Amino acid sequence: MSSKLSTLIGGVLAVVLAAATSAHAQSGKEWMMYGGDYANTRYSDLNQINTKNVGKLRVAWIRSLGTLESQESTPVVVGGTMYVSTSSGPRYVFALNAKDGSIKWKYEPELPRDFMSTVCCGLDNRGVAYANGRVFVTRLDAKMVALDANTGKELWTTTVMEYKSGHSITSPPLIVKDLVVTGYAGGEYGVRGAVQAYKQDTGEMVWKTHTIPGPGEPGNESWKGESWKVGGGSTWYVGSYDPKLNLVYWSTSNAGPWGGHTRGNDSSDVGPYTNLHTASQLAFDGDTGKIAWHYQMTPADVWDYDGVNEAVLADLSIGGQKVPALMKADRNGFFYVLNRENGKLLSAEPFVNVNWAKRIDKATGRPVEDPAKRPQLKKWARNVCPNLFGGKNWEPMSYSQQTGLVYIPTFNLCMDIAGKEEEYEAGKFYLASEFDLDKADAGGHLSELMAWDPIAQKRVWGIKEDLPILGGAMSTAGGLMFYGDPRGIVKGVDAKTGDVLWKFGVGTGIVQSPITYMVDGKQYLAVVAGRIKGPPSFLGKIGQRVIDASPEGGIVVVFELGQ
Amino acid sequence: MNLTAFRGTSWLVGVIAFLALLPFGVPKAQQPTATTQIENPFAGRADLVEEGRSLFNQYCSHCHGPNAVQGERPRDLRRLYIRYGNKASTVFYETVSTGRMDMGMPVWKGILSDEVLWRMFTYLQTVQTQL
Repeated sequence: MSSKLSTLIGGVLAVVLAAATSAHAQSGKEWMMYGGDYANTRYSDLNQINTKNVGKLRVAWIRSLGTLESQESTPVVVGGTMYVSTSSGPRYVFALNAKDGSIKWKYEPELPRDFMSTVCCGLDNRGVAYANGRVFVTRLDAKMVALDANTGKELWTTTVMEYKSGHSITSPPLIVKDLVVTGYAGGEYGVRGAVQAYKQDTGEMVWKTHTIPGPGEPGNESWKGESWKVGGGSTWYVGSYDPKLNLVYWSTSNAGPWGGHTRGNDSSDVGPYTNLHTASQLAFDGDTGKIAWHYQMTPADVWDYDGVNEAVLADLSIGGQKVPALMKADRNGFFYVLNRENGKLLSAEPFVNVNWAKRIDKATGRPVEDPAKRPQLKKWARNVCPNLFGGKNWEPMSYSQQTGLVYIPTFNLCMDIAGKEEEYEAGKFYLASEFDLDKADAGGHLSELMAWDPIAQKRVWGIKEDLPILGGAMSTAGGLMFYGDPRGIVKGVDAKTGDVLWKFGVGTGIVQSPITYMVDGKQYLAVVAGRIKGPPSFLGKIGQRVIDASPEGGIVVVFELGQ
Repeated sequence: MNLTAFRGTSWLVGVIAFLALLPFGVPKAQQPTATTQIENPFAGRADLVEEGRSLFNQYCSHCHGPNAVQGERPRDLRRLYIRYGNKASTVFYETVSTGRMDMGMPVWKGILSDEVLWRMFTYLQTVQTQL
């Protein structure tokens, strides 16, 4: 691609992004960012592939990604080029011709050999970001790199955080005007979370906002003693953006360590020790990084109800009024609808079996806990549902503008968990907790791909599965919803009814959602596959079944309609 | 249990290290090439198994699986004796102490005492598979 064409595409992209309304941001004909659009809907307007012809999908091309760790990347497709990162660092970023998979360039970063021991949950990378002729890559050694989108040449590299003290970056950054914004992982290593914004052209840092307030800042009093310094609240997943409000939405991980005796009352009567802003949804001013509002889903978290799941933005008709909403299927099992202008709670209902809390108090916005389900130091809480994988984990949900439904990959698991004594040491796993997650909930299934009505707050239909850790969901204007499973079966589903209309085995487990894009008037479906490797370790015998479900791998498979 | 009370090198490893340094006058060619064998001082202590299991689940289960149940073979510690035979205790002690940083295994020396490590190993000895 010529640099002139690249500039033109960059310009078009900027216009499209600027035109993205605060309602349902359009993904356009390609797939320009991780969540498909700024609203993280993973909904595409394309309808060439639809409920009538989905059975005719056939493989157009396959590309090996060259690594075998968990493949969690969502490719970005811009100007006919697919930019896809691999696991293990990433070991590679490829620029591929989106029509035939041929390689335009390959980026292979120099990574230190010892970054693996400060990464909690697999050697993953969830993709890159594109803007103005540049590709932005975040890495497990907590660096961010800008590449020339035409050549793959490195333009700048910045150290976001020091990896040796337990920081890493697993998810792509967010483009906000002329900035590129990133969070980082480390909630299991006693880090203090932050969101950081850099200039796209130079890599110079413009703002940094800690998720946990320091001394003198409001919210610091919600921590016992010095516990705020190692309190987690990391920002390891992706942000969303509302250009009209100029608000960046990022959410925060579990409080650290998991054992709550270190940072509060060690009781359901949490008192002042809510541990702000962990397990929270935050809204940041796009220019300054100032926190505009916060909403804490799980105060004084002791269950690893890490709150990072993606905020999906949509304007919903609630009570006869169009409301600028933010939807979140939280790890803690509740589906939240907030007003994204001010963080006010509109509704919250359980989307899976929840027993740690009876309900969310609408007046205070806080959960009404069952004290028997709160683990304490040396005191087990048994059969707590959901378990710490959550009602939903990072595997993304999709909101279809066409059906008005949200498609959620859910879990049906419970746990036993207790607090333990443990000392903090920089760069070491710091949980202060013991747990058994090898527990199926009732029903005979371990997961369910669920269609959820976010206004009525109820399940519409579901596909129950015998293995947990389903891949993320993607929906289209063709009346379809696509997702994959740990065996490597990708499924095309009628988005209204849940009928499976098409399936194809790609040979290795699927964790991330498929994407779709159009090049030269033809719609494609792309699936990144490579069975998950790290997190099943937490699950004992259930995890062993996930690992046995398919061999590890690393491929991108692209489908087209046959005759 | 107060873990901090057990920090530091155990007397056993100290003795081994001391013996290893003694000038026995053995010709160089006959010196063992492998590291000196390190044995579990708590071998057979059934009373420590449950405590070892709990410690293992606290510190190791996120990578090696709760109760050592793990589907990824390289991380499956139920296979230590299949893999290392009578060197299992030595390999265990050295790997946990010094880490395998390029494979994701941290260095635990200075964080977990020998007494904790050997309690974990005492538990692991009860779950070894022959398959």
